[in-house]
Amino acid sequence: MKNLLILVTVLTLLVSCNSGGKKVTANDKKVTITAAGATFPMPFYNLAFKKYTEITGVPMTYGGIGSGGGIRSLQDKVVDFGASDAFLSDKELSEMPAAIVHIPTCMGAVVIAYNLPGVENLKMTPELLENVFMGTVTKWNDPKMKAVNPDIKFPDTKITVVYRSDGSGTTNIFSDYMTKVSNLWSEKVGTGKSLNWPIGIGAKGNPGVAGTISQSVGAIGYIGSEYAFAQKIQYAMVQNSSGNFINPDIKTVTSAAKGQIPADTRVMVTNSSDPEAYPISGFTWIILYKEQSYNGRTLAQAEAGVKFLDWLVNSDAQAIAVSVNYASLPSDVSSVAKNILRSITFNGKPVLK
Amino acid sequence: MSVNNIPAFIDNIDGRNKKNKLFLGLVIALSVLTVLPIVLIVSKIIINGIGQINFNFFVQTSPDSLQAMSAIANQETIPGGIANGILGTFLIVIVSSAMAIPAGIMIGIYLYENQGRRYSNFLRSTTEILQGVPSIVLGIISYLWVVKNITNGFSAFAGSVALSIMMLPMIIRSTEETMKMIPNEIREAAFAMGTPYHKVILRILIPTGFSGLSTGILLSISRILGETAPLMMTALGSTIINYNITKPTSAVPLLIWEFYNDPNMVKLVWSSALFLMIFVLTLNILSGSLSAKRKTGRKK
Amino acid sequence: MSSDKVTKTVLFSASLLVLIVSAGIVFSLAKGSIPAFKEFGLKFIITNEWNPTSGKEVYGALPFIAGTLITSILALIICLPLAFSTSLFVAEYFRNTRVANILSSLVDLLSGIPSIVYGLWGFYTLRPFIIKLGLSDQGFGIFTSSLILAIMIIPYATSLSTEIIAMVPDELKEAAYSLGATRLEVIFHVIIPTASSGIIASYILALGRALGETMAVTMLIGNSNVIPSGLFATGNTMASIIANQFGEASGLKLSSLIAIGLILFAITGIVNSLGKYIIRKFS
Repeated sequence: MKNLLILVTVLTLLVSCNSGGKKVTANDKKVTITAAGATFPMPFYNLAFKKYTEITGVPMTYGGIGSGGGIRSLQDKVVDFGASDAFLSDKELSEMPAAIVHIPTCMGAVVIAYNLPGVENLKMTPELLENVFMGTVTKWNDPKMKAVNPDIKFPDTKITVVYRSDGSGTTNIFSDYMTKVSNLWSEKVGTGKSLNWPIGIGAKGNPGVAGTISQSVGAIGYIGSEYAFAQKIQYAMVQNSSGNFINPDIKTVTSAAKGQIPADTRVMVTNSSDPEAYPISGFTWIILYKEQSYNGRTLAQAEAGVKFLDWLVNSDAQAIAVSVNYASLPSDVSSVAKNILRSITFNGKPVLK
Repeated sequence: MSVNNIPAFIDNIDGRNKKNKLFLGLVIALSVLTVLPIVLIVSKIIINGIGQINFNFFVQTSPDSLQAMSAIANQETIPGGIANGILGTFLIVIVSSAMAIPAGIMIGIYLYENQGRRYSNFLRSTTEILQGVPSIVLGIISYLWVVKNITNGFSAFAGSVALSIMMLPMIIRSTEETMKMIPNEIREAAFAMGTPYHKVILRILIPTGFSGLSTGILLSISRILGETAPLMMTALGSTIINYNITKPTSAVPLLIWEFYNDPNMVKLVWSSALFLMIFVLTLNILSGSLSAKRKTGRKK
Repeated sequence: MSSDKVTKTVLFSASLLVLIVSAGIVFSLAKGSIPAFKEFGLKFIITNEWNPTSGKEVYGALPFIAGTLITSILALIICLPLAFSTSLFVAEYFRNTRVANILSSLVDLLSGIPSIVYGLWGFYTLRPFIIKLGLSDQGFGIFTSSLILAIMIIPYATSLSTEIIAMVPDELKEAAYSLGATRLEVIFHVIIPTASSGIIASYILALGRALGETMAVTMLIGNSNVIPSGLFATGNTMASIIANQFGEASGLKLSSLIAIGLILFAITGIVNSLGKYIIRKFS
């Protein structure tokens, strides 16, 4: 017992003196920012929060507990912001205790990943996606597959569909796209963060789906782009509404947001009309209360939060997003976001001058 | 004893000896079979995890995705460590234990002292049901009770509450069962000498049953060391080191979850798991040596 | 005498803590499940469907109740002979030898492995093994999950019963030996009856752990929200569906998940009582 106590004390002392040069602990400043929500942007948020703390000294925390958890936490007023991959519907907005604003922070895409050794540059059309994910095409060497990919020699392998078993924004974006391009899908499956899948195996999280695909030859599934890019997983080109087969990358994802974006930024940008756009793309948002004086919050707290968000939608922070494989906001969307930030008030007066 | 009255079973001495040897063989075979998955899992953790462990692992805070990505691209070890997780885990476990251990031992002793009463049976059954509550449900409960109402935000204390509820049934049951194995004569001798009740508990029962008690305590601490789900909804996590229990804190299992979900940091999952495993082993060895020193001479 | 009364009161008040906490849990869960039960009635418990499509939402708990019961009981059945043998090995046959200490430490190591790591190992090592044995196409399913659960609960089943078996007084054993009993007979006629309540307690502890396990199961069970059609088919458990969907759930789905939590609470109680009843019948 005594030895254990000595060991613990020594370790604690060592760490306190040696935390990588960071002198900031949660007790130092009175203003700290806590956010919780979507797992999709977590690597980006963790990195951005860290950089911001380095610049300003404000300690920040993010917990990837899921978009639903983020919305709930904001509703319960236990965080400064929530983070969600899907914007709140009108009904959900009415259930919040006060007015909420949405700030888009970055973009991501859903890539169609597959495991077929030797098969490169797979092309998928909306019809093929419907066929595969709904089970009408069950083998890779099906004539429909060959028609879209005449140069590829397909093996006589079964197609195994892999989907997300947990509720996820990635599923939301994918199903939103499928609903737009397939009547059969719209009827039978619909849109949502979790669905009643007609066929396939469910795996938990991006790592679960990616792991399952990489371990099963003939598997196909959908993964978040930031994950697929970082892990260098094989993915397909998807035909967009202009007929072009688009490779998902940061440019094509950002292109999907070009065009009309509403003032409150609540829009799904799947199946974009832009000819360069990757069709299965979407935003992720941070949500916060429009009126920041609630629950005993101080002006300093409100200012810290809004200033951070202002920094986040600016080009420096957006470059950070790109460095970890997220797509940045197009400049018109950043402007819209900044307008929204200027509408945030504390006791009726705008927080940002 | 007259030879004519030898009971029947002694005649069957060969059969009984054969069964005896067979059973011993079975026990050994099954014990070896038990060891097999253990060795496989432990070696996989060591092989995959040892590469990342260095001094910095213990004293630096967790790396971000970019650092990990560049390290992998350059084939170096990922920088940083899990100091924020280690200290967070210490904080949360110490607070949980402070709540659960005294309560658990007291309740276990109560059950032992009040055997057979209807209230005790009901209490025991309730304890066993509490044992089966999934950790994520306890996280939800602690979110509702503590995060929303007490600390008004995610906090280490909320995490400790959830974990202490998880520890409680194990400590209670192992305390009661340990107490039952203490020969009654010891207890009665103490009472016969006029020892006050609380001294009987503190000076006789607890020291005698120390080995069993510490097994239960250790088991419960090992259980909560690796729990992720309840901490996700209570302590939330943090990239910095935090000593304030009313604020969000990191913990090793939370870091493991973050590493698992980040495409660049999967290697750190194994290193953190290795850390937890060695930590539990150390706790077990410590507790074993403590009990060995205190064993009263009832066993050879 | 009055200090004894104080001690007794203190112990009694401590015991109330368990009841208060449990009652609080039931209350909070019940409050959260009301919308689900209002919408689906008590039929929720036996409805065999889980359809989250917005507009046509139907939720039922039956597939998960089936999955939880099958995997946990199967896990306990697999674990029992292994844990029992290990306890006997360490506490009786080879007590205080180096081999026993090593075995004991190895088992202790198991308890320190976080459940997500079990899931990873199961995914990368166990699953291909099952596929190689030809038992299942993809390796996911009830059998694989039960197997990993069995490994996870071994330390719980072993630790406590090892301690209890070791505490059986020597006089009882020596008396039996002096009457000419073999070791096997001493084990089954002296040690087990004396230590029975402790041994059973440890298995119930292990079962409780299995019932509530999330991460490892969720990574290996295949996550199909239907009653499993066979030993190697995929399915889902109550704890796993809660863990999978809770982060993103809201409204009716959230309430249904909390209702499942409440049902799990009840099922744990039923399984425990049933188990003890069966054991009492057999002894």
